Amino acid sequence: MGKLTSFKRSLWVFHASGGSCNACDIEIIAALTPRYDAERFGIKLVGSPRHADVLLVTGAIPKDFADKLRRIYEQMPDPKAVIVIGNCGTSGGVFYDSYNIAGPIDEIIPVDVYVPGCPPRPEAIVDAVVKAWLKLEKLEKQLEGKEE
Amino acid sequence: MSFTLTTPSGFWNPLFWVIFLALFGLISYLIYLRGNPSYKKESDQVKPYLSGNIEPTKEKVQVKAGDIYWGFIEALKGYYKVLEAIHTGDIRDYILWYLGVGAIITFILIGGV
Repeated sequence: MGKLTSFKRSLWVFHASGGSCNACDIEIIAALTPRYDAERFGIKLVGSPRHADVLLVTGAIPKDFADKLRRIYEQMPDPKAVIVIGNCGTSGGVFYDSYNIAGPIDEIIPVDVYVPGCPPRPEAIVDAVVKAWLKLEKLEKQLEGKEE
Repeated sequence: MSFTLTTPSGFWNPLFWVIFLALFGLISYLIYLRGNPSYKKESDQVKPYLSGNIEPTKEKVQVKAGDIYWGFIEALKGYYKVLEAIHTGDIRDYILWYLGVGAIITFILIGGV
């Protein structure tokens, strides 16, 4: 049918920051700015999860934000992938036993790619997006198979 | 019989109009088919993005006519609070108020005589 051919051209990313210290967020921006320039491959940040193929999540998620993160994930169209950037989202990091943390992100929404680091380097973030891209292409083929 | 209406600035033909309507309808349908058919209608996927917050009901986000008087009502909150408390909607209460206030006025006017 060719209705999901958009991954062949571009991959749009939505960034949700769940109480991050901003270090991971700065590295995400660094991956987009001229040195690495992920946008030249069509990878760009979008302002709404409804337009996104990939969800980037940073920070140890506070309990107040957990339901909001679930809702953001729900709003993304299928097929979708989730990338966790940084130690806090991956394992809780230094906040792992904090009283108001909802837990590692994979306890809230399904996660496809983890990028550990405090903060991870932009190369690692770009590599994670490529891994998510591969997963989305696989999902796309499955969806197209179902349609036929 | 000719359907064409000729005017100094052009012509009008209902058959052409129907043909063009069908053509534009077909083009619109083709654009619609290009959309992603896999979205879930009964989920948050059809709702606007509000930073992950719950979408408020239409009644809550609507600006009501009474909102124009917000400042006035806010300034006289103490007065309206009392009025709202005694505004029961029961006509027997209002008749009692009427009789009560009427008795007080009557007493003030002629009670001392």
